[in-house]
Amino acid sequence: MRLKNLLESLNDLNADYISLREVHTKSISLSVRNEIFEGLNHSEDHGLMIEVMMNGQFAYGATNSFSASEVRECALKTKTAAENASRFSLAKFSSHTERPRTVGHYKSPAKLSIEDFKPAPWSDLLMTISSTMKIHDHVISRTASLNLTEMQTHFIASNGSDIKQTINRSSVSMSAVASSEKGNQRRSYGDDQSIQFGLENFDVLKLIREAKRIAEESLLLLDAEECPTETMDLLLAPDQLYLQIHESIGHPLELDRILGDERNYAGWSFVKPEDFGTLKYGSPLMNITFDPTVVGQYASYFADDVGNLATKEFLIKEGLLLRGLGSLESQKRLGLPGVASQRATSWNRAPIDRMANVNLEPGASKLEDMIKSVKRGIFMQTNRSWSIDDYRNKFQFGCEFARLIEDGKLTKIVKNPNYRGITAPFWNQLKMVGDRSTFEVGGLANCGKGEPNQVIFVGHASPVCLFSNIEVFGGGK
Amino acid sequence: MKALDSLHFEKFAQKILNELKSDEELTLNFAGESTLFSRFSKAKIRQVTNLEQAFIDFNFIKGNKVISFNIPYQASELDFSLALKKLQQSREWISSLPDDPYLVRPVHYGITKEESLHVLPQNDEMITQVLDLASHVDLAGVFSSGDLARATINSKGQSHWFKTRNFYLDYSLYNEKQKAVKSLYAGNVFNSQVLKRNITDAEFKLNLMNRESKKIARGNYRVFLAPSAVNELVGTLSWGGVSMSAHKQGNGSLKDLWQQKKKLSPKFTLEEDFSLGLSPRFNEAGEVAPARLALIEQGEFKNFLVSSRTANEYKLESNFANEWESMRSPVIHTGDLKRDDILKELQTGLYISDLHYLNWSDRETARITGMTRYACFWVENGEIQSPIEDLRFDESYYSIFGECLERITDFSDMSPATGSYFQREVGGSQMPGVLLSEFKFTL
Repeated sequence: MRLKNLLESLNDLNADYISLREVHTKSISLSVRNEIFEGLNHSEDHGLMIEVMMNGQFAYGATNSFSASEVRECALKTKTAAENASRFSLAKFSSHTERPRTVGHYKSPAKLSIEDFKPAPWSDLLMTISSTMKIHDHVISRTASLNLTEMQTHFIASNGSDIKQTINRSSVSMSAVASSEKGNQRRSYGDDQSIQFGLENFDVLKLIREAKRIAEESLLLLDAEECPTETMDLLLAPDQLYLQIHESIGHPLELDRILGDERNYAGWSFVKPEDFGTLKYGSPLMNITFDPTVVGQYASYFADDVGNLATKEFLIKEGLLLRGLGSLESQKRLGLPGVASQRATSWNRAPIDRMANVNLEPGASKLEDMIKSVKRGIFMQTNRSWSIDDYRNKFQFGCEFARLIEDGKLTKIVKNPNYRGITAPFWNQLKMVGDRSTFEVGGLANCGKGEPNQVIFVGHASPVCLFSNIEVFGGGK
Repeated sequence: MKALDSLHFEKFAQKILNELKSDEELTLNFAGESTLFSRFSKAKIRQVTNLEQAFIDFNFIKGNKVISFNIPYQASELDFSLALKKLQQSREWISSLPDDPYLVRPVHYGITKEESLHVLPQNDEMITQVLDLASHVDLAGVFSSGDLARATINSKGQSHWFKTRNFYLDYSLYNEKQKAVKSLYAGNVFNSQVLKRNITDAEFKLNLMNRESKKIARGNYRVFLAPSAVNELVGTLSWGGVSMSAHKQGNGSLKDLWQQKKKLSPKFTLEEDFSLGLSPRFNEAGEVAPARLALIEQGEFKNFLVSSRTANEYKLESNFANEWESMRSPVIHTGDLKRDDILKELQTGLYISDLHYLNWSDRETARITGMTRYACFWVENGEIQSPIEDLRFDESYYSIFGECLERITDFSDMSPATGSYFQREVGGSQMPGVLLSEFKFTL
């Protein structure tokens, strides 16, 4: 009611359009390293973004005060900023087409909210995870952490939009670093396993199993041979493909990058407007969806931060590029279809074109058949390094763990595995896509972009995939 | 903006400190800003945002246990009630937490107050000047201006306050072939003539980009890395390169240097130098770092950054690094290569103005990868021939700042931080350019 009253109190500004977006975020994090409790943080952030359109130009005013007088002062300043900016508008917009009227609500499928948190059981669990990894003196660093966030957003606008969304996000992460005279090797689990559930969702026994596994694998890596340097078949696990999808599909398909808005910071895109409907982005096995409707996936929601209703859309179907990741504003400027992805990191930033859940749909191949099909190749798991150019073409990724595949069988473990390639040729070398039994759902907490800079959470899901003839190499001088 | 007034913060801090019981300790860490951000593309305005925000982080200690919390701060009565609620919650929770043997207790390191508030023109006036000067070119970037403050107060009586007013225009210019040059105009005194010269200089460089681009085959080449490229390399060293904690926990990237198995070039000296004036010397705990601290001196390991927590854990002496043990004001010492001699000394090779998206290929051997970006040229016999198509490199710091380092420029460029994740950053660096006998390109 308070937000509605605030909006009504601004009627006399006679703005062409006004929206208010209140964001109230509570988060809790705690961490343990080497069986020592390293701290608990409970934080709260609460503020208001006022969006005003004048003469076809949007401007934004952000304040963490909700007093009527300060909100009014902020709105007046924002209206003046929109009027001033409208003399230099890059594009003119209309509230009728770029700000749909939407009413509704969304809540993550969380049974236990952040208010149900009690520290003791969780610090005990993190201690258990840390001590589970203490299997050898060489495992010198054993970390475990829990992160919980509850973000409540209320968006209302002068066109009658009224949307309430509560997003609960949770994750447990862990890592083991093994060290000897042969070097240091790290294995981790959970950094990309974030989901939209509450505290009830954690499978304690599974977490302890994963802790044991990564500690053992960190030790195995210490004695492993260096990854060979050669061109071979590359089998990638979902926990590496999340980032491969993110960097080489998600970002280049953002319409604001294609328009050049991000050129000075995040970069441009090799994709051109005329590529939609014509570019063979990948092999016919490649199907990429934008799907903010997946229950419990990290970036699921009802509507984006300007009230555009979220729906599932194919971005790439059977290898053909169909649609970009772009807001109604970018869609208007380009005359191309997009999705509901105009999102802001919080109340203090304007919404921009973003990913939400960008997923590689499962195929038909069984994992054992994929391995059997490889004469000479490598199976890489868990991202540890990523780099790609500002057009999203030339990439290099490193993984934590790999096994060679020789004559259709997984053989020895190798350390420091890396691979490099160029986006479209790489995805056209996709030759087998795993079935649903290999499909995993995850997410990344910190996708950076924008001026001013913003980080946002995005979801990715993928089966195991096999690529042919990829440049693979290891570490060392 | 009331929240950026030191008296308001001091009054609030005292009120919450008065709530402490005899066995409790508390540190408050404040950050706030009043900022205009205006995004440009094609020398037009894409989005404009006026932002007013402030936050306070609290570090609460009772016995040997610690808990932290934070709240948004608006300099009103609501702050106190929210902070008190969080304090009560912390008291309830803290008894069930394990002890923290490495906790850092508040200490009285003194009282300082530093404010630098030059008068800037109205935001609309500065933006209009930028867009009028760039009306005939394709400019993309962001203009930012306003006040920002950092402060810390603790229950031992320590108090530090830092407030500054500044602006920056972080931009790039594009030609019809979509080749670009990058530039930055930043400071706390806005001068129309300096702005004009900055944009004119960038346009001059952009003209060089009109030549046909040369595709360079992968391989090893002589290169000159301009100061902004060196800045990117040094920035990546803050990811575990100079952190003592990272090295102790097996995540360090200059292990062989730390263990004195390897050296860098005797020409290479890297230090933290707060005399740049871009960053407050106090960290989040209010500890005041040395004005200058050599990290690598004449190619040899000298000091890594050590926070008080790391010092407690490993029985070392703290040099009052921040929690992440990252560099806040890095400087590389200059050499003797004059600006006019750069191309002549490079002879045939690549002039690299900027690097992009750096990450580790192999931390163990300090190997990093990344891309060339913006104005990079192929040079033959000391003359610029053509811009190049972007290249991926993969090279070790031991090569870049070690065996392949031929010369360092006799000048260096100051780069104020322009990052704005969560809030506008403070800090910056001062870097020279470097001439390398060899640099490996892989794609």
